[in-house]
Amino acid sequence: MSAPPLELAERALEHGTGQTQVTVIGERSLTSRFARSRSTQVTAVDDTTVEFLCATDGHTSTATTNALDDDSLRDAARRAAAAAEAAARTHGKPGGYPGLPVPAETPVRPSDGHDPATAELGPALAGSALQAAFTLAERRGLEAFGIWTAGEVSTAIATSAGTSVHEAVTDAHMRVIARDPGGRSGFASHTSMRSADLDGESLLRRAADRVDLREPLTLPPGEYPVVLEAEAVGILLDFLGALAFNGLAHAQGRGALVDRLGTSVAAPAVNLADSPRYPSTLRRAFDAEGVPKRPLPLIQDGVANAVVHDTRSAAAAGGEARSTGHALAAGGDPEGPVPTNLVLVGGGAADEHELAAPIERGIYVTRLWYVNPVRERETLLTGTTRDGTFLIEDGRISSPLRDLRFTDSALRLLAATEALTAAPRLVSEADLYYRRFAHGQVCPALRAQGFRVTGATV
Amino acid sequence: MARHTENVLVRDGRLERIDDDRSDGVGVRVRSGSAWGFAATRDLTRAGLRQALARAMAIAEAQPASAAYPLAPLQALARGHWQGPCDVDPFSISLADKLALLMAADEGMRGDPRIVRREVHCQARREQSAFASTDGAACSQSFVHCGGGIGAVAVDGEEVQMRSFPVAHGGAVAAAGWEHLLGLELVGQAPRVAEEACALLTAPACPSGRSTIVLHDEQVALQIHESIGHALELDRMLLFEASYAGTSWVTPADLGTLRYGSPALNITADATIAGGLGSFGWDDEGVQATRTPLVVEGQLRAALADRASAAMIGLSHSGGCARADGFARQPIVRMTNVSLEAGDAGSMADLIADTDEGLYLETNHSWSIDDRRLHFQFGTEVAREIRGGELGRLYRNPSYAGITPQFWGSLDAVCSADAWHLWGLTNCGKGEPGQVARVSHGAAAARFRDVEVGVA
Repeated sequence: MSAPPLELAERALEHGTGQTQVTVIGERSLTSRFARSRSTQVTAVDDTTVEFLCATDGHTSTATTNALDDDSLRDAARRAAAAAEAAARTHGKPGGYPGLPVPAETPVRPSDGHDPATAELGPALAGSALQAAFTLAERRGLEAFGIWTAGEVSTAIATSAGTSVHEAVTDAHMRVIARDPGGRSGFASHTSMRSADLDGESLLRRAADRVDLREPLTLPPGEYPVVLEAEAVGILLDFLGALAFNGLAHAQGRGALVDRLGTSVAAPAVNLADSPRYPSTLRRAFDAEGVPKRPLPLIQDGVANAVVHDTRSAAAAGGEARSTGHALAAGGDPEGPVPTNLVLVGGGAADEHELAAPIERGIYVTRLWYVNPVRERETLLTGTTRDGTFLIEDGRISSPLRDLRFTDSALRLLAATEALTAAPRLVSEADLYYRRFAHGQVCPALRAQGFRVTGATV
Repeated sequence: MARHTENVLVRDGRLERIDDDRSDGVGVRVRSGSAWGFAATRDLTRAGLRQALARAMAIAEAQPASAAYPLAPLQALARGHWQGPCDVDPFSISLADKLALLMAADEGMRGDPRIVRREVHCQARREQSAFASTDGAACSQSFVHCGGGIGAVAVDGEEVQMRSFPVAHGGAVAAAGWEHLLGLELVGQAPRVAEEACALLTAPACPSGRSTIVLHDEQVALQIHESIGHALELDRMLLFEASYAGTSWVTPADLGTLRYGSPALNITADATIAGGLGSFGWDDEGVQATRTPLVVEGQLRAALADRASAAMIGLSHSGGCARADGFARQPIVRMTNVSLEAGDAGSMADLIADTDEGLYLETNHSWSIDDRRLHFQFGTEVAREIRGGELGRLYRNPSYAGITPQFWGSLDAVCSADAWHLWGLTNCGKGEPGQVARVSHGAAAARFRDVEVGVA
């Protein structure tokens, strides 16, 4: 980036007219993919985008450019303003955007989510992590597949209402799949704000330990006790964030917690919060509207406590609703706000083996895949397992299973949760589409009753 | 590569948002020894490009050593310019005119208090790109995409139902201009969409069991995408996507021998179809657009390949399927326009009349398939009973599931060419960092026997 992000945002804001928010996002990232124990694709990205949000009489418009010269910035500002004004002129009545948020009274506290060493993005670090995984895979008679990625994202927001905030955060993720020649696979991943934490050898070892060479069994459809590894829990929580805690869906009567706030929706052991400064999460100081992030309890002792808001959804909700610092986009994402720093408090179990101990016949799931909502209001999801699914028999994780399809409600699973492991950890799918926005969930493994299996692969 | 995208969203009678995004940049892909490196930059100066080249080289050289693999040779060097079809430039239409159309469609869905959300949207994209390689290629191309759609969400107590037109998940988009959006006739369809959303609130749930099903061609398109298109990506077959997108139940050894489905199944990948989101002059490795039969009368013939994957299994040339999502991503194996060829079952009405008993399902709502593209489960917004060759009552929350080769093996009728349509799909995710591809699928309504329904 040629100029510091906040300086660029302030300079861009000078081109704005009326209510304007300028968001500058600079991404520097390195992603190294590997398959069959060889490097396959390495991608380095260095790009900065400047987005103008203009609001006229409640109508919003954005214009984005990655050209940083004054002429390009002026043009983007003009496009955004012209569209918002045209919208207001065409409608002749106010739009649904309540206006730019008022700046925080006290300076936004830094998130401490940046690691300078990670920001160096040295390709040698990725190369050595891959080599460590490849070497151990060969010793174990397996092949390694996966990804190593690290990034630095700088975000600055300046608004005509006086907001002026900036932060730089880093993230790093490594996923390893160990696979034997017969196609049996195991999985392990690690997410952190520090690339130095990505240990290719350790991850390969964990993944390889889940490769079971025995012929997998097929489990018929039905309801089973289940132990879900943290990665599987994280995916369910991610969907819950969008389907249950989305303040816009809630205001429109579509959300899963409509008429259920203040009531029991999960087991008493379930305590879920959005905690943007939790030590092991990917920390953030403010949201896409520059509103400071603060911890927000969502489920306390099993009771639904709150939904999250951006300024637009808070206006739609009316009453006392205010932004809780969960905007995904300037002006509010059309699909609504979601929590991006979910933390599920752990329980008392030492590990997945202790969780499995009371189960006579059940399932141990290490990873879920291609999960999508079936009925949003019910948080009913479907998806499959992959890279390590096992039968639990007589309290022990035993035979490998063919991958299963589940169709079950995320909220119902939390209601049927019996126990959780003691040490939550940060997990992430590392779905890094569009401009990099790394996020994950801090969660333990858990045991729940009645996991609904609706099919299996052949 | 330069990309300009505009999205306009009207919600509940108000302009919710207009997004106008522009980006320009260059991606440099190099091979050093056996390793690849790629660096993207928005700095278009000579110094900026040199820096990106140096970065790509440094990255490639930092990779663990491994045996080199070849690239399939080019049959011809990419030279010249290709331009996609567009009669009326959507960027030339004034915002007032766009809003007038969208607001009229919104108005058509207004009225019933059970409708809690009405949405009308349109989008346009223009891309201009130039490609050059040390092989000697030097070409440029440009295209315009345009489309949109409408949707209504109805709520009554605990029940939430949605109807969309022509499709959910981003609307119907084609490689065409504003004329495509006008042709969708969103305004005329709006009242029906709202009425059906409300009617679904009190409709009985989709029955469970096994049934004959007739799929609307839009759902057939998604079925092709998930259970044929992705399964026939050669990089997946070769395990190179095992980390994220997954592998395939099909292996390279199956090419030419595997029975993928019934004799009614004919699948073609065609990057030359007018209007297809997967159409181009050359792919992002400079390979000329081509038409490739993938499945002929149920028999697997070919896969979707780029230069590297083609060489790995000894093919003489690439399948022309290397595509990148913007300047900051490198090309990977992608679908072009993977289509089900028309059959001889006549119109949709003919096919329904020829079906004694079953379910007719329309408009995708949910989708999921395993990482080998074998076990799938789809939900649609609406189903109707078929009894005695006629459409009957409405069902809510319909779903069906199956195993890919069994399901396509149960295909016994495909509607004729007059009922065949090209459906654009704008949200196909693959790759790391993530890439969103735009593809199209030609399809006609089709009938499948003995399918598991009502699974969710």
